[in-house]
Amino acid sequence: MSKKIGIVRFLGTNCDADVMKWVLGSGQQAEYLWYQDQFNIENFDQIIIPGGFSYGDYLRCGAMAARSPVMKSVSEFSKKGKPILGICNGFQILCEAGLLPGALIKNESLKFKDEWAELIVAEEKSFFGKQMKKKQTLKLPIAHGDGRYYNTGDGLKKLQDQDQIWLKYQKNPNGSLLDIAGITSESGNVFALMPHPERAVFQWMGSSDGVYFL
Amino acid sequence: MMTENLKKYRLTSEEYELAKKSLGRELKDIEWPLFSALWSEHCSYKSSKNHLKKFSFRNSMTPDMDGENAGIIDLGYGEKIAFKMESHNHPSFIEPVQGAATGVGGILRDIFTMGARPIALANYLCFGEKSAPRMNDLMSGVVRGISMYGNCVGVPTVTGQTNFNSKYNQNILVNAMAVGYFSEDMPLALSKAKGLGNYVVYVGAKTGRDGVGGASMASASFDNDTESKKPNVQIGDPFFEKLLIEACLEVLKLNLVVAMQDMGAAGLTSSSFEMSANGEVGFTLDLKSVPLRDATMTPEEILLSESQERMLLVCEPKNYEKIKSVFSKWNLDATILGQIHNSKNIQLKWGDEILTEIDPNVIVKNAPRYDRPFEKWVNENKVEKNIEPLKKINKKYQKENLNWIYNQYDQRVCARTAQACESPIAFVQLDQTKRGLAIAVGCRPEIMKMDAQIGALDAVYYPAFQMALQGAKILAVTDCLNFGNPQKNKIMSEFVASVEAIAKASLELNAPVISGNVSFYNETLTENIISTPATGMVGIRDSVEDLIPTHFTSAYESVLCVTYSWVQSYVYVTEKENQVAQFNLDVSANVPQFIELCQLMDQKIKKQDVSISAIRSCGLGGIELTTQKMSKDLIIFEKAVELNSDYLLKDQFYQFLLTTTDVVGVTDFLNEHFKNLKNKNQLFKIEVVGQTIEAKI
Repeated sequence: MSKKIGIVRFLGTNCDADVMKWVLGSGQQAEYLWYQDQFNIENFDQIIIPGGFSYGDYLRCGAMAARSPVMKSVSEFSKKGKPILGICNGFQILCEAGLLPGALIKNESLKFKDEWAELIVAEEKSFFGKQMKKKQTLKLPIAHGDGRYYNTGDGLKKLQDQDQIWLKYQKNPNGSLLDIAGITSESGNVFALMPHPERAVFQWMGSSDGVYFL
Repeated sequence: MMTENLKKYRLTSEEYELAKKSLGRELKDIEWPLFSALWSEHCSYKSSKNHLKKFSFRNSMTPDMDGENAGIIDLGYGEKIAFKMESHNHPSFIEPVQGAATGVGGILRDIFTMGARPIALANYLCFGEKSAPRMNDLMSGVVRGISMYGNCVGVPTVTGQTNFNSKYNQNILVNAMAVGYFSEDMPLALSKAKGLGNYVVYVGAKTGRDGVGGASMASASFDNDTESKKPNVQIGDPFFEKLLIEACLEVLKLNLVVAMQDMGAAGLTSSSFEMSANGEVGFTLDLKSVPLRDATMTPEEILLSESQERMLLVCEPKNYEKIKSVFSKWNLDATILGQIHNSKNIQLKWGDEILTEIDPNVIVKNAPRYDRPFEKWVNENKVEKNIEPLKKINKKYQKENLNWIYNQYDQRVCARTAQACESPIAFVQLDQTKRGLAIAVGCRPEIMKMDAQIGALDAVYYPAFQMALQGAKILAVTDCLNFGNPQKNKIMSEFVASVEAIAKASLELNAPVISGNVSFYNETLTENIISTPATGMVGIRDSVEDLIPTHFTSAYESVLCVTYSWVQSYVYVTEKENQVAQFNLDVSANVPQFIELCQLMDQKIKKQDVSISAIRSCGLGGIELTTQKMSKDLIIFEKAVELNSDYLLKDQFYQFLLTTTDVVGVTDFLNEHFKNLKNKNQLFKIEVVGQTIEAKI
């Protein structure tokens, strides 16, 4: 059955159209959600927060977007246990909004990095568990300046104990702790990753592993 | 006072006399900056315009867009492409991060001001020796500027070329190219103002003091004091640009706009004067209404500010509120500055006070033209001298890894990228028809240094050849002509030879030069750069799904080399060793025909199921450096024992390598395919040069 997916747009979001193309191409329905508006959570089966430079990364990546009206609805949506996927800047926004633990800080190299990354699925979580099995490897592109996952010692331990580490880099590109590329919330319905599945949909793009994420 | 003004506004006394004659009176204070900006080399093309006419060739896919911001290619099936390349050399040398960033921002605005959505960026960079003063900072700054801006606006940087030569030690080159896409439902926007009573509306970011006098700064040579020119450099904000792209494309799609023009060099002055001159209508312009970052700015500063992310548009009064609400949705201003009136004059006002009233044609169309002296081109640099053959390839002939540059560019945002910076040319997929748009930049300074005419031909031929090898047909060319001081006979001669060579190659390949930019005065304390006519081009292929890779894909395959000898040189070797090069040109070669055959070969390979697993053109440094570039995933090249190092390093234009498991079958196929070239002369050659092997770790 086809799902209805809400795609959040902030000022400065720049992967919104890519995600729209990806979602529609997979046969699902989709609608943009404007950052200034709240939405009816009953109308959607899933929310995706795409990548980009919301508010030009002013203050901190994702900090201003996390405080915009649409995130009130996203938060409600999360409380209902419905699935939310954050990609790149979407990951940063979810951390800033407190829907995911930890933070994403500047890459160790202090430089923006664009390259193909080999990932390994660290946990089969309920929502994507059907498609992605533990230890499965995936090839996805990364493109970020602030993708280094950071958390406190206790925070990391909690992530490990509760199986919240979702995806890991085979070769760490940014200095992220425990090679983390993606995590899930404690409740298991909020997912986020730095790599871009919407840019790996067909072989001609370099990989089609993005299909596992819809 | 007069001498002071001439110096301050960088006008010659002859130009001042011409200005006075055109106006029929003495210049008012406010008019000095207008003439200064619009008659600068940068805005008026006064030294080059007479020669740029040589690019007038157009074909059925390229409508004449004279006076517009970029050239257009009609791809059929409702798809169109706009593209252009532009220099930002002077600002980047003064302040590399902002200089390069605003270069990207400016070229993007040239594209979306026409109504196209930017889908790809490319760049062409020339740096000096790494040991030169400031060079490391300049390099890392320029790359950071490009990356910061392009990544944030969400337009992928898909290809580029980076050159190093001591001749750029004191004057680096930063050329940025942008490609825009029109789908069927996207209207083309023009810059011709029209419609009595229509509003002239300012949209985008507020105006500040940055970049005041930038156009005339960019039209002068450098001295020792670049530090003091920093206030001439603009500051860019890619976040604003992203908002401006979305808002502009939205109002265009809603058909709310009559004309649109970005504020580039010379800011509000050039955009308003060009809109007025192109549309042959005049309007009022109240400078006091311009949204300012600093309320103390004077009318002169407002006119000349090159603050970024601003546009001027003309709309019918009934549509203004709708336009305003779209821009306010994207958090941007839309302010009325004036109205189109009955006279052809532009009336500059400060509230109720009239500052001046002037016919833009006096300035735009009466701009001075110079026929700078030049000599007819003779191939003077072709020194033939035998060089001691190299016995061994040592470290200095190893490929320099430039991934630290390309890895800072987001190459895949927009989800159209099929091939990017890891390959010689890029491919992006077009939304509607799924065809592949090939994008490349060219010009090899090492060859330009040897011979401007051959170098400029090569600047078109070589990227077209690279495209052809992967099955793309070149469609059109843009150029960015970076030269030294045009008042020097030698420089002007190289300029004219380059323009004529590019025009010739573009005609031969049926790929018109549809847009471009000239950057003169790349000179610091009388030291001129190598004349560098950088080119950008786009081509088309029916799909992106079956591109033959440009890297080795498996070990134990034969590597075949196909050569069509037009020029032979030792350029790469000599660049490192500072020797005179051997440079042989065979005038009987028909390079355009060879390029066309290469392009047709790709289709045949697919149809006839010929076993070719990788293909790549040989660049400077010959087979040796090209095979290093083709190595991937620990699959490397092992040369055939009988070939010596000297042979492997020699550059042959044009030459390509391919890998296969079927040497006999592929050789037969190539002989048959290229038979027309083969029969005519002895320039064509196929040989096995080695094989792919697994690297020992």
